[in-house]
Formats: sequence, structure tokens, C-alpha cells
Amino acid sequence: MATILETAASAGVFNTLLAAVDAAGLRGALEGPGPFTVFAPVDDAFAALPPGTVQTLVDNPPQLARILKYHVLAGAHSREALAGQSDWESLEGAPVPIRRAEPFEVKNATVVNADIVCDNGVVHVIDRVILPG
Amino acid sequence: MTASLAPERTTAPLIPPSTHRYADVIHRLEAGGSMLPDTPENLKQIIGIYKAYAVPMDFYWRDLLYIAERVFLNPLPAFKYFISKEYLDLPNSYAGEQSKLRIWRGGEKAHPELLAFMERGETGRMPKLLHHLWHDRVNMEFAEACMQAMLWHQGMGGRFNDYLESDAYKANADRAIKAYFKGNPVMLGLYKLFPEMFLEQVRQLSYTANLGLFWEVMAPVFFEMSDIYDEGGFKGVPDAMDFLVNGIFAVAGRPIYHHVFIGGECFEIIPKGEGFTWLYEAALPYVEAVFYRTSPFRGTKSYNAQAHQVPDNQADFHYGILYADVYPVGSAGIPPTLLMQDMLHFLPPYLKEIYREHRRGEEDELVQLGITFQRSMYNVTSAVIQALRCALLYPLDDTDPEHLMANRRFFEAQMDRFLRPEARLSDIQSQDYR
Amino acid sequence: MTLLLLLLIPLLAACGLQLLPVASPWVRRTAQAAALAQLATGLLAWRQPPADLSLSWLPKLGLRLDLGIDGLSLPLVLLAALITAMAVLATPLQQVRPRLFYGLLLATNLGLMGSFLARNALLFVLAYELILIPTTLLVAIWGGERRAGAAIRFLIYGAVSGIALLSAVLAFGWLNPGGVDFSFAALAHHALPPDQQRILLALVLLAFGLKLPVVPLHGWQPLTYSQAPTPVAMLLSGAVSKLGAYGLLRFGIGFLPDAWSDWSPWIAAIGAVSAIYGALNAIAQLDMRRLVAYSSLGHMGFLLLALAAATPLSLQGVMAQILAHGLIIALLFCLVGLVETKTGTAQIPELSGLLNAQRGLPFTMGLMLLALMAAAGVPGQAGFVAELLVFEGSWVAYPIPTLVCLLSSGFTAVYAVRLFNRVGFGRLDNATANWASTTWMERAPALVLTALVVVGGIWPTLLTGLSETATAPLALRSSDAVTVIASAAPLTSSPLPA
Repeated sequence: MATILETAASAGVFNTLLAAVDAAGLRGALEGPGPFTVFAPVDDAFAALPPGTVQTLVDNPPQLARILKYHVLAGAHSREALAGQSDWESLEGAPVPIRRAEPFEVKNATVVNADIVCDNGVVHVIDRVILPG
Repeated sequence: MTASLAPERTTAPLIPPSTHRYADVIHRLEAGGSMLPDTPENLKQIIGIYKAYAVPMDFYWRDLLYIAERVFLNPLPAFKYFISKEYLDLPNSYAGEQSKLRIWRGGEKAHPELLAFMERGETGRMPKLLHHLWHDRVNMEFAEACMQAMLWHQGMGGRFNDYLESDAYKANADRAIKAYFKGNPVMLGLYKLFPEMFLEQVRQLSYTANLGLFWEVMAPVFFEMSDIYDEGGFKGVPDAMDFLVNGIFAVAGRPIYHHVFIGGECFEIIPKGEGFTWLYEAALPYVEAVFYRTSPFRGTKSYNAQAHQVPDNQADFHYGILYADVYPVGSAGIPPTLLMQDMLHFLPPYLKEIYREHRRGEEDELVQLGITFQRSMYNVTSAVIQALRCALLYPLDDTDPEHLMANRRFFEAQMDRFLRPEARLSDIQSQDYR
Repeated sequence: MTLLLLLLIPLLAACGLQLLPVASPWVRRTAQAAALAQLATGLLAWRQPPADLSLSWLPKLGLRLDLGIDGLSLPLVLLAALITAMAVLATPLQQVRPRLFYGLLLATNLGLMGSFLARNALLFVLAYELILIPTTLLVAIWGGERRAGAAIRFLIYGAVSGIALLSAVLAFGWLNPGGVDFSFAALAHHALPPDQQRILLALVLLAFGLKLPVVPLHGWQPLTYSQAPTPVAMLLSGAVSKLGAYGLLRFGIGFLPDAWSDWSPWIAAIGAVSAIYGALNAIAQLDMRRLVAYSSLGHMGFLLLALAAATPLSLQGVMAQILAHGLIIALLFCLVGLVETKTGTAQIPELSGLLNAQRGLPFTMGLMLLALMAAAGVPGQAGFVAELLVFEGSWVAYPIPTLVCLLSSGFTAVYAVRLFNRVGFGRLDNATANWASTTWMERAPALVLTALVVVGGIWPTLLTGLSETATAPLALRSSDAVTVIASAAPLTSSPLPA
């Protein structure tokens, strides 16, 4: 199996996410043993944000890191495990609510592809960028 | 999600209508509109007042940064409003050719109308000191009152306030304080005796920087809106609101920091690396603290606790512009009226014409423009509400009824804040409210 | 000639007005011109005192057209002319049935002038009665909601007053030893026996007590003053009520001195009761117009007290109070009427925040502050001068009633402050404050009256100068109230000051 980032790279729909991870300097952390649960927004999710949003974040690594860290939970949790709890604490500190089990919704994003197991964690693909607050 | 929020709905609505008192407004919000009704006059009024607001704001943000970064802990800051040339010419990061994210097509320097006003004021050409003493100047006291509202209400969301109590902040502040008062045994001695007092001053200055950075963004947003309107680019109030929503998102990630310059050296009291963002640490706390809450104005409410005129619960404070009774404008002790006085100097001609034709014409322009300002701030609040909905909830054209109900609950919760009698939401629905 | 002119101007103007087209602006202008012309004639009469005029009219009845002006009547003539002019100015430009309205105002003025200029008691009664019908009609046709009741009550009380006066005057004439003679000269020089004097004084007190009014004859006053339209209220309170004081001075002190001295302790007591009653009631009022009406009642109590004391100083106080109060009360009614026109209500609970510089009535409230201060007797305005003379003059004769009146004067400050606090300060209600600001034309009468009130306070001679030499001989007590000067041939016509 591959690491989370390698899995993402090979999928081909996470270019923006990977660029963001690099810009935020989180590559090293996400290559580590983890384990992590990562909610990975597809490229279309980033494109759906209003113009300039991503650019501003990319220009400011600490701020970008905060948004990205909100997409990561400590520990590797499958969909079933996630559905058992209403809130999970993200690495950023703010809680990530699980709003529905069927269809699987994390905050205001729908998980289009769940339980992609990797070496250092599990990835769930979401269709929107989730934001703390 | 694209630039416009308005959904195309040709089928029957998926959820039953709301039964809230403000059901009309909620349905309008769900259709992508604003709390302010969409009429040509409303659009004209709010754009005009945005422009009139942005000109003094251009001064506010520069002077706030000047105070936070240069004046710093000056014990007798008699000249804190005498902004230095460097800060007056400080380039706005969101305007001009040099900006990385250009919001306004205009220049990065201070607005020419502002400079003209600083030269002449209402009285004429005089030495700056006389202008200052005569109070014929931009009323910075309003900006400081906004800052104090944010400082006092504290936990309005975001991490900013918690950081101000952290050890890292205290260490940073300590270094800066010691550097600032180097060679001043009296102040250093005072600092040893009363460290918390100095720290609190630094916290206040951090909020000053926060507000300055917040308004640095809002000024070019409003200038650009005025320019777009002049070209006919806005078809209605929802268009103006959408522009604000896009603007909010575009700048959401802007870092909030507090750097102080002492003796040529930069002290990072709040470094950018802490990750504070414009949206979470500046905009949302500002809206909550200044639009909704603010503080009761001396002279209009008794501060006597036994009189129970001021609510015990800070969350119940309702002295912001959204709840304001605009008539006392001009009375002493009401800082927002200082803003009305500032805006009076920069009204565009089409707005002056509206005021001349209604109520008492030029005699009560201050009250009329105050009410226009209230409408415009309801529009800004609508933009913030829509932006929050967009960030944390679902698109307006979502087909899942559960998502739509979540949106509905969110809107209703927002409208619940306007149920109290002082709220002006029902007043602004009518054009007669002037 | 001047005297005839004073009478002819309102008469001709009132008749001439009826011939103009109803919507013509000349109706108002004619009325204004007539009032101002009359004022000018009055000032002319001051500079060049005219000789008495005596024309035969109905000799069989003893009615002669005896006209004359002296130190007592000149200030009153000027006051009546001025108040009429201000009343015309205070009439709204869009007056309903303007010709009749201005005509009746001028007819009232004619009656006033006739009363003040009369040197014949029957002529005086004629003019006195003449006032009754126009004023009743003014209240009945253009008054407030309860105008019908107010007008009827006013008519009844006024008719009783007229009957009482007529009886007294007829008795005066018939009791004249040298044959039936109603002229003032005859009435003054002849001293009636004390018991006859007492009967006549009872009638005179009834008649003029109803006019001033004083408690307990005041039943018509609060209702009528509050229901009358603003110009009529100004005229009634400012000029017509002063006729009562003039009558008491002339007929009571002038022609019935012995009875007056006998009864003056009671008269002083009535004055004190009236003062306290008026002030306390004013504090309780929620309608601004009724508040001003009761305030007027209180001030008439001071007048009665000073008349009762009848020392030279107190009689100066009477004239000063007549002028000062006439101006102040007309001013108060003018301002209250202005507020009511602009805001639509005169109820104190419905008003607040009118001092707001942007959307309120700051100019009007500024003048109202001065007017209320004057009514309360604050130094610097005419009210203080008048009250000072009244209290100083009456203290030596009747200390207890004077103290009671002083207390009442303190109460006037209470209702003045309460009124101003409630109506001027506080929050202006956004939803209802939709009125236009006052124009200069609307402010003009109030401005003129305020100026006079302020000048009167700084330059007291304005109030007393014209009448000083006329009142002194009328005094029944010396300045220290020790000696009582009984009927020492009081003069009817005193020399006018130069």
C-alpha cells in the first residue's frame, strides 16, 4: 500500500490539495507514521470556492495549514467508526461533526468515496472544502 | 459554487414555508437575496453610503496600524491621530498595481477625497493642530470605540482572544515592552510593579492592529463596489451582497498579526505564523461585537446596576448599528454618530439628492444618512450570514430536503436575534423609514 | 381723534374684511395691518397724549361717548393692540372661514378698546358686553373637540358677569346724588355710604372675579382656554382677562375704597387660595393647554393679592403683572399651539425629545424654555419684575397670603420644569417624528413676545413706566401699610408721564 499522499497523487483528482499541502509545509507531517484520518477534497471542491480564496491561502502558509489541519483527524477511523460519534476533534483543534451516516456526510460535505486505506491512515474523499466554525 | 448565489428553481419548493415572524426575509435569504429588500433606491442608498464610509475608513485603518505599530505604549499619546507620512502613504495590499490580490482598480495610496478633507476640513486651511483641537478632522474616536467593543466583548469566536492570554504572547509582549522603555527606569519600574497593566495595554493594541487589518480589506471592497455601481454593473441589492460574499471568501485567509517597530527593529507580538485568519479572528468577531453588541452609550442608558437598564448577560447587548435608534445622532457620548459626521463629508451627489428631497432636506442629513448606513450594514450582515451558510452549510440550490432544512434552521437562528423590539429589521423593509 | 381712531380701526377693518373675497390673501393682510395700525396709534397716544373726548350719544339713558386715556388704560391699550397683532400672526395661513374669524378677532379687540378707553360706566358695560359674543363664537366655531360645552359654559359665566356688572353700574348711576350720571368723574368724586359700597363691591367682585378669573368663579376657564384655538386663547388670556383686573382697579379701588379696605383681607385670602389652587392643579395636568390655563389662574391670584393690599408698590405690581403676565401667557399659548400644530398633539405623555436638533422643534422649545422661566418668575425676565413688586408691595399689608403666594410661585417652577423635561428632553420617537420644521412666519409672534418678555425683565420701566404716576394716587394704604388712606378723592384722570 501507499502512503496517504502517494494514494492521493495517484488518484489524479487531488492536485490542488497536494499543492496546498506542499505550500503549507505539511508534506513531512503527512508522510509520517500517523495514523491519520484525512478528509480529502477533490479539485472541483477547491474550484467551487469563490475566486481568490485559495490564492490568498496559498500565499499565507500558516493560515493554509490551519485549514488543511481541519481536514485531518488523529488515528485511522473507518466510516463505521466515524459514524458512531457525532463530533471528532481535528488536528486544528475545532471539532468536525458527522452530520449523517447515510449518505455519509462530514460537516457540510458528502463523502463520495470512503475507507481508502493507506499505510499511514485512511482517506475519505469529500466533495467540498470543510471549514472550521 | 459560482459567483452568484441565486438558484434557478423551476420545480415546487422542497420544504414547507417557514413560520417564523420574519418568514419573508428568510425566504428571500433562501432565494439568494439579502435582508434588505431589493429595490433600486435601496441599492443606490447602500452603494452611496459604502463609498462615504470607505473614505474615512481609509484613514481609520492606516491610523489604527500607526497606533498599534508605532505609537505603541506611548504613555501620553497626544499625537496618535497625527498620522506619519509613511503610514498615510502605506500601500493598501488590495488596491493598486502592486497588490497580489487586487480588489480595487484604484490606487494603493490614500483616497484623494480623504487627502483633500485632511487639508481643508470644514473650516478651511489651518495648521493641523488647530484642525485637531477644533475637532474638524476625521473622527478616529469612532475607530477606537469599535476596537474597545471588540476588546471588551472578547470571546466572539476565533483563537485571537485565547492567544492573548497565552504564555507565548506574554513573552512576546514582555520583550517588546522592555525594548520600548529601554533606558526609562520610571516606566520599567512601573512595569515591574504592575505588569498586568502594561500587558492589558498591549492587548488593546493588538486589537487595534486587528481592526486596522480588517478595515484595510473593507475599504477597497467598498470603493470597488462604488465603481461597479457607477458603471451599472450591479443589477440589484443581491448583486451587491454577492460581491461582498465573494470578497469575504477571497480575503478570508489573510493573516492577522501584530508587529511593532521599536528602534528600527520589528517585534512580532503576534506573528503571522500563529495562523490567525481575517475571517475567523477579525471579521466575525467584528460583526458580532460591533454590529450586534457594542456597548450602551453613556447618557442614554443608566449604568447603575440596580436600575437594570443594561442587560446582565453580555450576549443580550443590543447597541450595535443593527439595533440602533438613529435619532440621537450628534449627541455626546455616542461614538457611532461620529462616523455619521465623517460620512457626511464624503456623500456622493446622488445620495445628497435623495436626502434633499425627503424629510427635512439638508437639515437632518445626519439622521437620514444614519438610517441609510443602517440599511447598508444589514446588507453587510446578510453577506456575512450567506458566507457562513456557504462555508458551513449547504448551497441554496441543494436538492436534499434535509440540507435545506439545515439551512432553514440556520437562517431562523440568525433571524431570532432580531426578534427583540429594538431590532430594525422590520423597519428597513419599508422605503419610508428614513 | 386718536381715541376715535383706536376704535374706528378695528371696526372698519372688521366690516371691510367681510367684503373681500374669501380666499384672498388680503383678508389676513388687512387684519394684520389693522392690528399694527392700532398699535401705532396707541404709541402715538403715548407720545402725544390726547385730550378726553366727550360726545353725546343717548342722553336719555345717560350714555355718553366719553373716551379718555390715562396712565391706567394706556398700557392696557398697548397690550391689547399688541396681543391682537400677535394673535393674527399666530393664526394659521390656511384658516377656515377667515373673514369671519378675523372679523370676530377684531370685534373682540373693539370691545377691549372700548372698555379701556371708556370714561362713562355705561359705555364701559356696553363695550364689556360686546366682547362676550365674538369670543363665544370664536370658541364655538373653531375650537377643539369639546368646543360646544366650552362655549356654552363660557357664555353662561360671561353673561352672569355682565349682568352683575350692569346691575352695579346702574346702581352706581342711580345712587349718584346729583342725578343719574354714569361718567367716571361723577362716580369718583362722590363717596357712597359704606353699606351701599359693600353691596356694589359684592357685585363688582362677582363680575370681575368671573372675568379674571379667580377661585371659586373659575369653572369656565380651563375648559375654554384649552378648547379655544391658539390665537383666541392668546387674546382671551392675554388681554380679555386683564379687563377683570382693570375693572377691579377702576371700580373697586377707585370708586369703592371704603368697602374695599374693609373686605381686602378676604380678597387677599381669595387671591392666595386662587394662586395655590392654580399652581397645584397645573402640576397634575397632562394636557399642555390645560396646564397653561391653570398657570394663568395661579398668576391671577397674585394680581388679586396685590389689588387687595393696595399699597403704592403693590399697585405698581398690579400693572406690571398685567403687562408681564399678558405677554407671558400669550407667549405660552402661542408656543403650545405651535407644538400642537406641528406634532398633532398637546398631550404631554405623547410628546418627548422635541429638543432634538435634527428632527425636533429646537427653536420652539428654546423659546418655550424662556417662556416657562418667565412664568416661574426667574430673574432676567418680566415675570420676576412683576412678582417682585407684587410680593414686596403686599407683604407689608398681608404677610400670610403673600407667603402662600410665594409658595405658589415656587410650585410654578415645579410644573414648568416637569413640562419642559417631559416634552423637551428624552428620546424622540423615530416612528412618529415626521413633522416639518417651523417656518419664520410661524415663529414670528413667539419671537416678538419673547423679546418683549426678556426686555421687560432687564428694563423694568417697560412694565411700570407708563403707569407709575397713575397708580400711586389710587393706593389705599401707605407704603408701610400703617395708615389707611380712605377715599381721599382719587383722581380719574392722572397725568401721563412724558
